[in-house]
Amino acid sequence: MHLTKLSEAFLRSAAYERRFLTKNHWDFSMVVWIPLATVLLIWWIFSQTQITDLPIGVIDQDNSAVANTAVRYLEASPTLTVRQLYYSQADAEAAILQRDIYAVVIIPEDFSHNILSSQPAPLTLQVNAQYGTHSGIIQAGVQAVASTLSAGVEIKRLVKQGVAPSQAMTAYAPISVQRISLFNAATNYQQFLASTVIPALLHILAMVIGATTIGRELRDKNIGRWYRFIDTGKPNLTLSKTSKTTSSLSTKQDSSNDNTSSNAKVPNSVSLSVLVFGLLGKYFWPILAYSLWSALILWLATSNQHINIMSLMAVYAGFLCLMILSFWLGAIFTLNSFSLRMGLSTTGFISAPSYAFAGVTFPYIAISNSAQYWSNALPLTHYLKLHIAQLQMQAPIAISLPILYGLMLAAIIALLLAALLTKRALAHPERWGAR
Amino acid sequence: MSAQSNNTPSKTKPTTTPALQSFWNSFVQTFKDVFGDKGVLLMLVIAPIIYGFFYPWPYSSEVVNHVPVGIIDHDNSNLSRTLVRYVSASPYLDTERFINEQAAKEAIWSDQIAGYMVIPTGLEEQVQSGEQAHVSVLGNGGYFILNKNVQLGFSQAVGTVSAGIKVKKSIAKGAYAPTAAQNTQAVPLRIMPLYNQTEGYGAYVVPAVSVIILQQTLLMATAMLIGTWYEQRRHSTSIRGWLGRIGALSSLSFIIGCFYYGWAFELHHYPRGQNMLGTLLFLALFCPTVATLGCVLGLWFRQRERSMQILIFISLPIFFLSGYPWPADQLPQVLQVIRWLVPTTPAINTSVQLNQMGASVSQVAIGFYALAGLWLLYFVLLLILRKRIPQRKAYL
Repeated sequence: MHLTKLSEAFLRSAAYERRFLTKNHWDFSMVVWIPLATVLLIWWIFSQTQITDLPIGVIDQDNSAVANTAVRYLEASPTLTVRQLYYSQADAEAAILQRDIYAVVIIPEDFSHNILSSQPAPLTLQVNAQYGTHSGIIQAGVQAVASTLSAGVEIKRLVKQGVAPSQAMTAYAPISVQRISLFNAATNYQQFLASTVIPALLHILAMVIGATTIGRELRDKNIGRWYRFIDTGKPNLTLSKTSKTTSSLSTKQDSSNDNTSSNAKVPNSVSLSVLVFGLLGKYFWPILAYSLWSALILWLATSNQHINIMSLMAVYAGFLCLMILSFWLGAIFTLNSFSLRMGLSTTGFISAPSYAFAGVTFPYIAISNSAQYWSNALPLTHYLKLHIAQLQMQAPIAISLPILYGLMLAAIIALLLAALLTKRALAHPERWGAR
Repeated sequence: MSAQSNNTPSKTKPTTTPALQSFWNSFVQTFKDVFGDKGVLLMLVIAPIIYGFFYPWPYSSEVVNHVPVGIIDHDNSNLSRTLVRYVSASPYLDTERFINEQAAKEAIWSDQIAGYMVIPTGLEEQVQSGEQAHVSVLGNGGYFILNKNVQLGFSQAVGTVSAGIKVKKSIAKGAYAPTAAQNTQAVPLRIMPLYNQTEGYGAYVVPAVSVIILQQTLLMATAMLIGTWYEQRRHSTSIRGWLGRIGALSSLSFIIGCFYYGWAFELHHYPRGQNMLGTLLFLALFCPTVATLGCVLGLWFRQRERSMQILIFISLPIFFLSGYPWPADQLPQVLQVIRWLVPTTPAINTSVQLNQMGASVSQVAIGFYALAGLWLLYFVLLLILRKRIPQRKAYL
């Protein structure tokens, strides 16, 4: 008996929302087209998964055979391309300022002389450090070229001194370093950036939907009617042609009779369990759609690697919890302020920069201590930890389970909080309609 | 002052006078509406000021140092202990010992360390007998910046120890000590970082993101204001009236822009003010361009809250399309063209080139032309929308 009442509240609320979404293309787009386009766009942006051929310049003041070899090595480096040879410092600087090139390698005039006379022969790299990504890759590329040149020069020198070629390498570097990148060995940016940026964007979109779905009922003073409908089924808001849901802006028309009838619209008694199921019904379509988009991004992110099916399930469950939590968070911020606009402002303030705080591009351990508290308070930080541990590091699942449980618990608590705040909102009709 | 603005909008006769509105009337009225509307004021003025402090917050340490790493010493010799000592002294690293690789891996999985070095058994023996010896450095490729620091810190420490051995051997062979020490690297590389000389992360990312913050807050505030006017049927006005609105909104945004370039960057010790005149010129073109786009979006969305609903998520995608964090010529061909429709695409690079790098205005001429072209495009769109919308009898 009680259960049928709850399931009816769920079904009525979902039917109410379905009707609204089919009639309001902007809100429908936020559920379907915009997230789908976002996932595909970000994946497409990083479709060239590695950065190659960054343009640099060379000033060759030496013009020797060794200097030519250096230029050839630079040209051969996959991350660099020598755009032009410059003859003066001023030309090179102008090219950097115009972003024709991002760095210039200077070969000094005594370069070959120093090498022949067994002196250190330094190269100078002037790099545009304002462009951090470019600069990091160029520095690594040129450093590799300098090391190759050094090894070549020194081994040649040792061989000349009578060391056997097989021994020369050992004499050059008694202890060599074997560099190994565990996980994402190919520095694949699609895996590193796209697969973490997309969850951040869906998190933002889900919070916005969370704010608007309940917020527009508050703004249009419809929240009382909505509750009455999901509780009793009357008046049937999914059938009537003149229903307010056809236009969210029609508030003005009945604002004249609002004063007289608004008290009548306040339900006498509000059941929390009906509200919980009503909210679940109201957010049923976004939850359904976003569980599809979550699956899409996980499929994209894992299509070219072998991930344990249990890990994949855990990440998917975590993603769904993040999405559902985001819906309730958006709703909570809106209900708390009684205003859709304020709810959206808060949502934007918290969610839009959350990727910067999540510790992916700028590592968590380097984030200042006070900002780490904020970072820890953001659900995205925790989800991305789970995401990277399972999908990139392929860690044992047990390590990430606490995060999954935490997200689940947070989603449940947030739902209860949203229901409580809806109950409060229903009790204060005088605050409905805030813009 | 138009008569209509004094009355509360009535639904019987929606618009009569606005067609006659002059530039200054409209300019003043927009100012009044902005300061009379908490929502618009919050978005246009207060939000960017708060963001000026909030966004640089995680990056306040700027440079990544003391990355926690592990060491597994299987050799336990004098040489391996020297290596451990050198690694511990590295400013890049904070070392912790592990018994075996499994323990270190578990620490990586739970984000306690970002990488580790394995010193194999027999390292000292191999070095003394002149055999090629090596140690392994394993970094977490899941986090790019950490991995770079791990590799750099370990390589430098090992390189120093290795060079020391080489020098000793050379001297043992009878080489003159200073000559032997010089020989450690035949072609050393001197790196001179230009502009962002400390290579700080915040100094790299915040000047660019600030342009996005300026654009997004101005866009949302403008579209919110126009959307609200549409709901009240106050949206239509003359061409001069539109220019007055754009002028008012962009002059407020211009002042906020000066707050960023003049004070927020200074406060966080970012390089700034290399070409201040050029920067002001840039702001004087950027703000009206964005405000005009905001007017177009406001007439398209036609609802107060819609601008936030649609625009909040856009900042991240347009950042990656701007060519700043991700080289533009690595983008797919189609996106390389489409990206020019957004003001931030020319604006981020132009702003950074002028204000952080100190380029001359002629060196960033392309950016200025692109912004002017975008302004023209948006204004034409605005004129088209303006003609079309009053004919539609919406709602009422």
